[in-house]
Order: sequence, then structure tokens, then C-alpha cells
Amino acid sequence: MRRTMLYLPGNNPNMLLRGHLFEPDGLVIDLEDAVSASEKDSARILVREALRRGEFGKCEVTVRINATDTPHWRDDIAVVVSCGISGVRAPKVDNAQTVRDIDEEISAVEEKSGVPQGSTKIFCLLESALGVWNALDIAKASPRVTAILPGGEDLAADLRTNRSKDGVELEWIRRMIIVAARAAGVDALDTIFPRVNDDDGLRKEAGFVKQLGYDGKSVIHPNQIPIIHEVYAPTEKEIETARRIVEAASAAALRGLGAVSLDGRMIDAPVIKRAEYTLKRAGLDCPKEG
Amino acid sequence: MDLNNPKTAQAGTLESMDCVVTITGPEKNGVIEITGSASARFETVMKKVINETLDGLGAREPVRVHVQDNGAMDIVLGARVEAAYKRYIGEFTR
Repeated sequence: MRRTMLYLPGNNPNMLLRGHLFEPDGLVIDLEDAVSASEKDSARILVREALRRGEFGKCEVTVRINATDTPHWRDDIAVVVSCGISGVRAPKVDNAQTVRDIDEEISAVEEKSGVPQGSTKIFCLLESALGVWNALDIAKASPRVTAILPGGEDLAADLRTNRSKDGVELEWIRRMIIVAARAAGVDALDTIFPRVNDDDGLRKEAGFVKQLGYDGKSVIHPNQIPIIHEVYAPTEKEIETARRIVEAASAAALRGLGAVSLDGRMIDAPVIKRAEYTLKRAGLDCPKEG
Repeated sequence: MDLNNPKTAQAGTLESMDCVVTITGPEKNGVIEITGSASARFETVMKKVINETLDGLGAREPVRVHVQDNGAMDIVLGARVEAAYKRYIGEFTR
């Protein structure tokens, strides 16, 4: 699950070592914007040590590297990929070639450091109009790509606007990205909600992106985590329906039946998959086939 | 070893759970100074981390290491010593 992915400044030991205690689904250790140019070297060492220590609870661990138009990104990949992380979050991805360049670099480091080939995923941040326009190509550029995400502030600037309270400037961007993500078979993750004291605004925005189909949001403050989890939590009715679908599918599988019907409605694989995901979000296990 | 041309390099911050490591050298003999609220209690362990880090980096030239500690765990102290030392020897160009 990637309902919440919490950004942690890469040069801040307190957040770096304690961020997982807030129980987000994932962590995004940031070597990019949260670290000044003069501290990149020191932050990279600190992040390496934190990754080697590996105490991040159940969180999926990713690192936001610096963009490929900087002198830092190769050093970032060399250090963090060799530690065996779940993935890198790549900023400012404008086209498929950028993904292929990152893929190639990751592959070389995996090979050299004995990390299983292909195990390091890529989360692509689309932070320009061109990046959003190329979303499908980017999402399909490498089997490593596991998610695409709109950037917030950079994207607003590239569109020659700014972040508004109702987020109207990102509305169609979000729709384009969810369609591209689903067409490519990857996750769609939303950008951060910048107003950390506006709980109602966050709840509304999280509800909107959840309804669009997004798998979750990036998070910049621990207080935002329970709110988003609450929005993404299925209702009692959804849980009950999901449980009945999964049970019916399991029973049909036991009897060797390919198709199954429930309440007069045919249930196919995508419906079962969605039901299983609902139970997972509710923290429930799916019944195992006998 | 040119004692007439001392160099200084620093890494870290005074944020909670961090420390500032300052390396000055070359010195005739290696010196480690630790200040901070819990420095007396953890001085022995911290000196061990500092020495092991410098040894691991192949440091031969005697230097003065000053640590202003604000509750840094071993891995943070080691990381800051490594960064300060690499800046000291010019491995990092910032």
C-alpha cells in the first residue's frame, strides 16, 4: 500500500531515524530540495548509514535523488541503490530517455553491489507540462517504473500559475496522470498538500484524488498521515461487500469453477482484485484458497 | 605534515540528535574533544566511534577532532566524522 509516503529531509538525523514511528506506508528520504547544495555530500553519508541500519518499521523505503541535470544524481544512486532500497524517486522526469538513463545507472550499481537486478524501482515525478504530456511514455519506459506522480510547486510554476486553495490548476493534470498510470499498469501517487494546518483542505483533496483512483499521496508532515489513512479506509459496507466477493471467489476456486456470481452479478478477476485491495486497506487478511 | 598551514573542515548541525564535528590539522598528536550535555556520560563510546571511523578512512595524519554533541547516535556521529574528514582532505569539493 502507498496511501502515505512521508518525506524526510536527508540531512536531519531526528526525522531520518524517527520518521517511521509515525507509521506512514512509505518513506521518501530526500536528497534533493531538502538538502542544500553545500550539504549534499554530508547528507549522502548520513542517509547511507541510516539505510544500512535499516530500522524503518514496516515502511517502504525510497530515496528522492537529485535531478539528472545536476552533478549529484549518479553519486546519489551509487550510494542508496547499493544499500538495497525499494526505489528511487526521480525528480523532474520530462521524457522516457531520462527514465532509461536512470535505469541504466541503477542497473550498473545493482550489478556492482550484488543487489538483485531489477529490484530497485523508479517513482517518476512529473514536474513540467512536458513531463505530464509524456506521462504514458515515461511510465512504460522501464519495467522498474512503479509509480508516476505530479509535482506540485514546480508544475504550477511551469504552467505559469501557482498553487491555489482548491487546486484547480492541477485538476486535469491529476486526471491525465491517473489515466496514464493505469494504462501503463503502474501506481498513481499524488503530490503533497502544502498547508500543514488545514486538515479539512487535506481531507477534501485526499478524497478527490482517492475518487480519481490514486493509490495515495505524498506527505510532508506526520499529522497528515492519519487523515489520509482515514480517507482511504474503506467503509463498513465496502468491507462487507469485499469480504463476500473474496469468499465467493475462494469457494468457486475450490469447486474448480472459473466464473462466479454473487447477488446475481458476475464477478471477474478485476472485481476480486479490487475487493482484496479493500480488505488490505482495512487491515484484514484475505481468506486463503484451500 | 605542514604544521604551519593548518586546515579546518566541519560537518553536521546543532539540531536535535545531531552534532557538529570540526577537524583541524595537522597536529603533532591526535586530539579528541567532546562537548555537549551528555558528553561526559558517553565520551568513551564516542571516542571509540571517532577513532574507528578515522581508521576506516585510512587517516594517518594526526588531527584535532572537536565534537559539539546534541544527542547524536553512533551512526550519526560516524557519518559526521566521515563527512568532516573527507572535506578536510579535500575529497569533497563543495
